[in-house]
Amino acid sequence: MKVGILGAGPGGYVAAIKAAQLGAEVTVVEDIEVGGTCLNRGCIPTKALLASAEMLAKARELDKFGIEMDGTPVPNLEKIMARKDKVVGTQVKGIRGLFKSWGINLIEGRGTLLGDRKVKAVGKDGSEQTLDADKVIIATGSRPAQIPTFPFDGKNILSSDDALQLRDIPKSMIIVGAGVIGCEWACIFRELGTEVTMVELLPRAVSTEDEEISETLAKELKKKKIKLMTGVGVDSVAVGADGVEATLPEGKKLTAEKMLVSIGRAFNSQGIGLEEAGVEQGKRGEILVNDKMETNVEGIYAIGDVTGGILLAHTASTEGIVAAKNACGKDARMDNSVVPAAIFTSPEIGSVGLREFQAADQGIDIRTGHFQFRGLGKAHAMGEIAGFVKLVADKKTDKVLGAHIIGPHASDMIHETALAIKAGLTVRDIAGTIHAHPTLSEGIMEAAEDLHDEAIHMPKKS
Amino acid sequence: MNPEDLKYHKEHTWVRVAGNKATIGITDHAQDALGDIVYIDLPDPDASIEANAEFSEIESTKATSPVIAPISGSIVEVNEELSETPEIINESPYEKGWIVVVEVANESELDALMEAGDYEKYVEEESK
Repeated sequence: MKVGILGAGPGGYVAAIKAAQLGAEVTVVEDIEVGGTCLNRGCIPTKALLASAEMLAKARELDKFGIEMDGTPVPNLEKIMARKDKVVGTQVKGIRGLFKSWGINLIEGRGTLLGDRKVKAVGKDGSEQTLDADKVIIATGSRPAQIPTFPFDGKNILSSDDALQLRDIPKSMIIVGAGVIGCEWACIFRELGTEVTMVELLPRAVSTEDEEISETLAKELKKKKIKLMTGVGVDSVAVGADGVEATLPEGKKLTAEKMLVSIGRAFNSQGIGLEEAGVEQGKRGEILVNDKMETNVEGIYAIGDVTGGILLAHTASTEGIVAAKNACGKDARMDNSVVPAAIFTSPEIGSVGLREFQAADQGIDIRTGHFQFRGLGKAHAMGEIAGFVKLVADKKTDKVLGAHIIGPHASDMIHETALAIKAGLTVRDIAGTIHAHPTLSEGIMEAAEDLHDEAIHMPKKS
Repeated sequence: MNPEDLKYHKEHTWVRVAGNKATIGITDHAQDALGDIVYIDLPDPDASIEANAEFSEIESTKATSPVIAPISGSIVEVNEELSETPEIINESPYEKGWIVVVEVANESELDALMEAGDYEKYVEEESK
């Protein structure tokens, strides 16, 4: 079985390894770098920057923890970026090493479908070859969405890709879009000292999350003196000698040294031969697939962002495994019912399953339980008491349907609840499971207890 | 003890009137119940407050609590020092820990407030 894969992001590279494990002869064509957006321009580099920002935040608090320091900590963006590049480089090498170990052929260049499951690969060196594959997996991903109002110039009006290339800390920045990417960048730059103003068209930040999460995040952003304007669009942007000037409705102006635009992602479905191969696309340019990750053309699969589903690295990877299995003659189906999400703001957000507002929309009778991190000894010891755990459960069956956590290590904590939902466990199952003390995870147990008004570390409800 | 020259609201805020201006803060009892204050969400300096409505929020190591306006008025000054050092409220709830100064909108609202002695009795009753 010959499997050809377009793109080596978290979808494509995982599909490649899985297919190789199943005995296929695998060729991957990648035109930028293995690891894709996630590793080179997204998840990993921003987390490396965030680690520097958090280190700085901690250094500024040393006094509170009883540690004296001579002088003040000063961020050096050039060095911070160099560390980020090193982290990314190590991971890139790791994937290349895995490819080698599994005998996967990596062609560095651009791949295009020719029809009949043939792929033309034009190497970075200009060399051209045609691959004859039995199965093709399209994993070309997405890129920062650009609209004419905000023409990226890489200097003043930045995409998230451009922001990773900055060498000086901007004095001020307007961030357009308070979704996941915008909020993460806001926290990083603010900690480094940038005056940040966020402008979001929707009524709240991270609008796909539970409303209480958005509310608490807004408060935490305010504490950091990040200005968040919601329900406001940007009409136009002008670039001048001193930076950018954004015009808001009613002629109100905002000025800043830089503008970062994070208004969504555009699918990489153009110029890869979808028309030639007869692969069907949806209205937004996404490739249409079924739950086996099959496109309308036999033997051609598509996975990850380019299919327009849930734009998360871990769903792309899971879809990659499903596609690889099916390509290799197995029968696998994608189950999107339980997908945890992590947002690396400070504090972090972890969420999975049903939001409270969705329950109302879907007519599900629910109960919720809450617990504030400030009720935990561990949170106080760490000096990170902001945030809460919220559980959403079916009122009749007590089954856990959703969990929403904002606070320290929320992204790691969320998986206990994801497993509970996946396994169909009840809130009483969580409450009845001994949680080690002193840990942040006790917050999940207490929220489970609170759902039945039985939390130990909460005052009696009147 | 609670200063005699102030007026008190049942949601544990106080008012100090001087001419048509009134300074507002939370009571000693309130700060004691909250414990160590770590953050206060200060209102905008150009905002107005409305009697019996939330105008600020205080976070302590124990809880997050709304601050309820004892009277209505437009804000003329906000104690910006609290944004960096909110613990001043714990240390000096009636002096340095004031939250806002407003221009009194409706003097009759002052009549609805308690005197120091009545407030003390009220707190005693409430904590029974």
